[in-house]
Amino acid sequence: MIASSPPKTFILKIKRSLGEGKPSHWESFEVPIRPSMNIISALQYVAANPVTTDGKNVEPVVWDAGCLEEVCGACTMVINGHVRQSCSCLVAENLQDGNTITLEPMSKFPVVRDLWVDRQRMFDNLKKIHGWVPIDGTHDLGAGPTETQEEQEQRYAYSRCMTCGCCLEACPQFTKDNDFKGAQVFAQIEYFNSHATGKELAAERLDVIMEPGGITDCGNSQNCVKVCPKELPLLDAIASLGRKTTVHAVKRFFSGKK
Amino acid sequence: MSATPTAAPPQLSLIERHHFLLRRLHSLSGIVPVGLFVIFHLFTNAQMIWPDAGATFQHEVDFIHSMPALLFIEISLWVGIGFHAALGLVYTFTGQGNVKNYSYSANLRYTLQRITGILALIFIFFHIATLRWRWDFFGWFTPFYGQLKIDGSYGKGVPMSMPLTAYALQYSWIVVLFYVIGVASVVYHWANGLWTAAISWGLTITPKAQQRWGAVCLLLFIALTAFWGAAIYGALAYSYQEMTTDQKIVFMEVIPDGREVLIDHGVEVPSEAEAERRQMEYAASHGGS
Repeated sequence: MIASSPPKTFILKIKRSLGEGKPSHWESFEVPIRPSMNIISALQYVAANPVTTDGKNVEPVVWDAGCLEEVCGACTMVINGHVRQSCSCLVAENLQDGNTITLEPMSKFPVVRDLWVDRQRMFDNLKKIHGWVPIDGTHDLGAGPTETQEEQEQRYAYSRCMTCGCCLEACPQFTKDNDFKGAQVFAQIEYFNSHATGKELAAERLDVIMEPGGITDCGNSQNCVKVCPKELPLLDAIASLGRKTTVHAVKRFFSGKK
Repeated sequence: MSATPTAAPPQLSLIERHHFLLRRLHSLSGIVPVGLFVIFHLFTNAQMIWPDAGATFQHEVDFIHSMPALLFIEISLWVGIGFHAALGLVYTFTGQGNVKNYSYSANLRYTLQRITGILALIFIFFHIATLRWRWDFFGWFTPFYGQLKIDGSYGKGVPMSMPLTAYALQYSWIVVLFYVIGVASVVYHWANGLWTAAISWGLTITPKAQQRWGAVCLLLFIALTAFWGAAIYGALAYSYQEMTTDQKIVFMEVIPDGREVLIDHGVEVPSEAEAERRQMEYAASHGGS
């Protein structure tokens, strides 16, 4: 079997806009393919040569990036209709119709410009759910409780979250105009609530996700767990919080505390 | 610094304050009473499969109608289904389906769950409107309780469940199609809902547990599909020839053009004089109405 010779260039089709609420339009750029090229290096080529396939000189495309090794989440975008990190997306493996790759900004977060979005909602939600371990006091609190190896390993899976937003972009229940919190914070609640010191705030965290936009608004499409690039056990977290909030609700009812 | 976590929580409305409870009740109301009722209902209907001219089916129907506090059961079903449907419709339109870009099987089930919910609601409405309230849609109606509506109480003791159900289904292939789509939607919605409810309530919290419970729900889906399949087959396989003389007389009383329907099917019908004589006899022996 003789493989057909790979194309020498490909078309990068990019959805562009000047910001949230502003009109968007598509522009195509022809980019030479280099070995092991990823989307970021293709975008770097476009930045250096901002000329569309129509020969029009345009402003360079804006995008966000950080680590370039799929641990920071900054370069997350919708590639060929599917959300993922652009740094770990190889051009050769993702050409559609032979020679095209489509890039769009994530649709669930406000666009700053072109492919760059504002992911602030996720960080605000981390504050709302008390996404930390309370260790501050007016005096020395001493050493924390010992954690077993098993507990650490269980929590490690949740610690891998990089707040990229893939789970929320793919979630049909998470929209720009609602207050659904989504899998990202649910996983972090499971993370902090299973920490021996972090669980001091467990009840507060559960209270937050029993309000509108909380755990009950999950529609079970289970896209989150499929698209998560760090393979967090998001469905386990959602189901586990389903159980904990049920128990918490019964306790709240009979204790009369809330 | 209004974004600090210690900021006072916003005032929540009455519904918002009971958000969690409402959501859990929505889930529960799909299982009890509506879901459980569907199991019994379809099992009863499956009895139409027996080739005994509807005797077993009639026995089951009579059993249900002889249950005490039937009104209470009916009211709890109404409340359950009304609540489940009203909140379900609201929830359906808070989501934005994306099965086109994310065509995972679970996402397909998510989308189907919402479509079948709406189809089931439409179906149940027409099903009850025709069978229970005797509404007439385009000349088609299913006079299930016809035997109770006849002057002189003649029909009261005549078992009509099988012939009248068969008449409703054999009326047109459109009716059969409507029932197949409607009941398939109900059964899918119930089995898939039972599977996802176990996740929502936190009953199955590991992939292994979800897989096991999924197998149980799949079995339930297959069983219920077999039940309604048997019911529809039984209703279509029923021949008007199997009717007794009494059943024929009631059939002609209840169904518009009932006499012509029977004659068209090659059924030997009693004469009008014969029918009248039997009615008089029945009225005399049962003390009239």
